Amino acid sequence: MLEVRLSQPRRGFRVEVEFTLEEGGALALFGPSGAGKSTVLACIAGFQQPAAGVIRLGGRQFFPPPLPLHRRGVGMLTQEPALFPHCTVEGNVAFGLPRPHSVEARAWLARLREQMHLGDCWHAPATRISAGQARRVALARMLAPRPALVLLDEPFGGLDRGLVRGLLEDFLTWRRELGFTLIAVDHQAEVLEQLCPRVLAMAAGRVVASGSWAELRQRAPQAMAALLAPL
Amino acid sequence: MAHAGALLFAVLLLYPFSGVWAPVGAWQWRGTAGAASRASILVSLELTALAMLLVVAVGTPVALYIRRTGRAARTWWEAALLASILVPSLALGILLSLAFRPEGALGGWLAQLGLVSTNSAAAFVLTQVYVSIGYYVLGALVALGAIPAGLEQHAALLGLGPVRVFWRVTLPLARFGLAAALSLAWVRAIGEFGAVVVTAYYPAGMPVQLWIHLESAGLGAVMPLLVAFMAAALPLPLLLHLLAHRRRHA
Repeated sequence: MLEVRLSQPRRGFRVEVEFTLEEGGALALFGPSGAGKSTVLACIAGFQQPAAGVIRLGGRQFFPPPLPLHRRGVGMLTQEPALFPHCTVEGNVAFGLPRPHSVEARAWLARLREQMHLGDCWHAPATRISAGQARRVALARMLAPRPALVLLDEPFGGLDRGLVRGLLEDFLTWRRELGFTLIAVDHQAEVLEQLCPRVLAMAAGRVVASGSWAELRQRAPQAMAALLAPL
Repeated sequence: MAHAGALLFAVLLLYPFSGVWAPVGAWQWRGTAGAASRASILVSLELTALAMLLVVAVGTPVALYIRRTGRAARTWWEAALLASILVPSLALGILLSLAFRPEGALGGWLAQLGLVSTNSAAAFVLTQVYVSIGYYVLGALVALGAIPAGLEQHAALLGLGPVRVFWRVTLPLARFGLAAALSLAWVRAIGEFGAVVVTAYYPAGMPVQLWIHLESAGLGAVMPLLVAFMAAALPLPLLLHLLAHRRRHA
């Protein structure tokens, strides 16, 4: 069970959020730019320390006191792939594995390489691959240590629809296999709907609606309705 | 016209090196003066290497710490580092001698440890550390600041503790910048005269020995040591500059 109750000041308002998420569950944070969605993810990941609140995942207390990032068991994907430029694709994917040369790790890496279609660029420097490949590498790198909780902060932004569709399919396949808990943020409701059946709508740091996507469409405030409308 | 002007500038910039071929008579590499020159080369190389170890061991964690402080704290840190750089060498030497006098708190404590704070190897190293560490830390801050945002955080989220993040992400990405900062510190330390001549006239390093030769032995004794002095000071920063240049254009 993930329990989040946090308060964090931002310019002009305070992010105040409270929710729980069952183990293996998926929750979308949806709302206009600047609503505080990424702040929530940053607090859970440990990039920011909340001013107040409690964050707990299973038996692990993330805050307070702040648990070091490397002990959280959290995977995170952002719009920037943030690959390590001094490593090859293989080096990036294996980065979070404690014993990457063990038989088990090598078999696991081989599976990631094949299923993520990284065979062609596996030994290439991370700086010499395409944007689409970079997203795949970032996804494989994040999945490699088998995180208990995955945070997605608009990782599909700036990609064409074909790439987004492929990445989404891959991601959902891996999620079914690994069973991690998921919190996703994206501006595109159609992307979030595929990832998470449950949604928390935020505006100016507050939760303004929650429930299923159908419920959100019925009850959403007018400003939110515009975000939900198809293009 | 601009090309010719730039060429003239380059010629004038490098012109002082022609002084090596000046008619100063026979170069003295033997005898008493030569022995003193050779001893000073050893003193400079050994003690400056030790000083650089201390500069890196202390300066790197300090730079990592300053990088994580807020804007206001960082401004104060940078001011303190600049102050250590900007104080005139001779003034720094006098200040160090007074601050570390054996009757003082720190000087007395060092004396109890057997580290004499004037005219000793310890004084030599201490002075070199003081004159160069500001350059290293400021250079290291620039190098660390050039690491793309978020990479170290992502490495930590992948399960790496702070020490492993440093060795596997921070150091590989900042290594050329840190090396450039170290080369600046090296040049500053090995070439230091004003402060060292006050705090550590003995053991004489190359700059002090050059001055002694100029005063007492003449240019014939100066020239071989001068060439050795330049050979010790210049290759490391030039090599690092070329390596960094190649990396930028790789």
